Amino acid sequence: MNIDHNDTFQCMIDESLAGVLSKEKAQSLREHLSTCATCREYLSASNRVIAGLSGFSFEVNPTLNARVLAALKQAEGGRGIVASESGAIRQRSVPIKNWAAFAVALSMSFVGSGLVFQMAERLAVPRHFVSAHVQAGVLVFWLLPSLCAALCLLAAPSEKRGIA
Amino acid sequence: MVSETQRIALGLRQGDVVVLEALVEQYQYRLVRYLVSLLGRRDGVDDFVQETWLRVLERGGSYDGQSRFEPWLFRVARNIALDAMRKRAMFSLDSNEGDGVRSSPASGEPSPYTLAARTQDAERLAHSLQTLEPVYREALILRFQEDLSLQEISVIVGAPVSTVASRIYRGLATLRPQFEGDKA
Repeated sequence: MNIDHNDTFQCMIDESLAGVLSKEKAQSLREHLSTCATCREYLSASNRVIAGLSGFSFEVNPTLNARVLAALKQAEGGRGIVASESGAIRQRSVPIKNWAAFAVALSMSFVGSGLVFQMAERLAVPRHFVSAHVQAGVLVFWLLPSLCAALCLLAAPSEKRGIA
Repeated sequence: MVSETQRIALGLRQGDVVVLEALVEQYQYRLVRYLVSLLGRRDGVDDFVQETWLRVLERGGSYDGQSRFEPWLFRVARNIALDAMRKRAMFSLDSNEGDGVRSSPASGEPSPYTLAARTQDAERLAHSLQTLEPVYREALILRFQEDLSLQEISVIVGAPVSTVASRIYRGLATLRPQFEGDKA
């Protein structure tokens, strides 16, 4: 009977150490501990385990921080510009694949604009459009949007963000 | 007023290396300590540490700054270490998965706990900790060394709070007999 009783309080000690014991139970446990040597010893042994867990000190390779920071800087290399908390502007790198996508989009933009301009001029003559209007139309409706799209490709993050 | 965790989240979203460098300085030791506890060995931990920080740089945007940084960091480290160990078919943290292989240092080498023990109580625990089920050891270390709540540990290990609590109780029950009946 007494063993069962102590088991209950020893479970409460475990819960207390895990940080999940309610205030009411904590009060009850304190009262019990003042009269029960067995449970006091149980608590003492548990506290020795916890103290022991804090008694390990692992040596960190002294070059590890430098190695990690170098790897971070290398990975960071080449992506746009970012302002740090202090307000300083630092150069960030743009991944090569973003540059490649930008170059392709830029080429397609100019080639596409040239083709559209030629087609538009052929159509413009019979319909009596002024060449300058055709040029303006191609600039506004084709070249500028495609340039914007190319710039967006350059600024886009190289990888989707996800749950780590 | 921006809290510390929100400042970290903002820095990580922007890929701010200054913020990241400060985090490396602040959390490096705890990261090493956690990974040693997780794996039960020292070799290979430096590689996992480096991989963890690279992952933080790459996916830091998924840290929302609503909770403490270290549980998020430990979860990243845990995923990396366990994925790598699974790929090498060397290790399973949870022996209940059936294919579990106990973590251990290379044969003949002293355990990382034996080398790291700095107090008498720690020396007495070193061997038992090395042979303790990794899931129990991890729960004990996160609770009593890293001072994380059960909810935070639950997020790291991807298990319910009740399971985490059970692991802590069992871990304590395994180690406690070494100090029972000891008045020292």
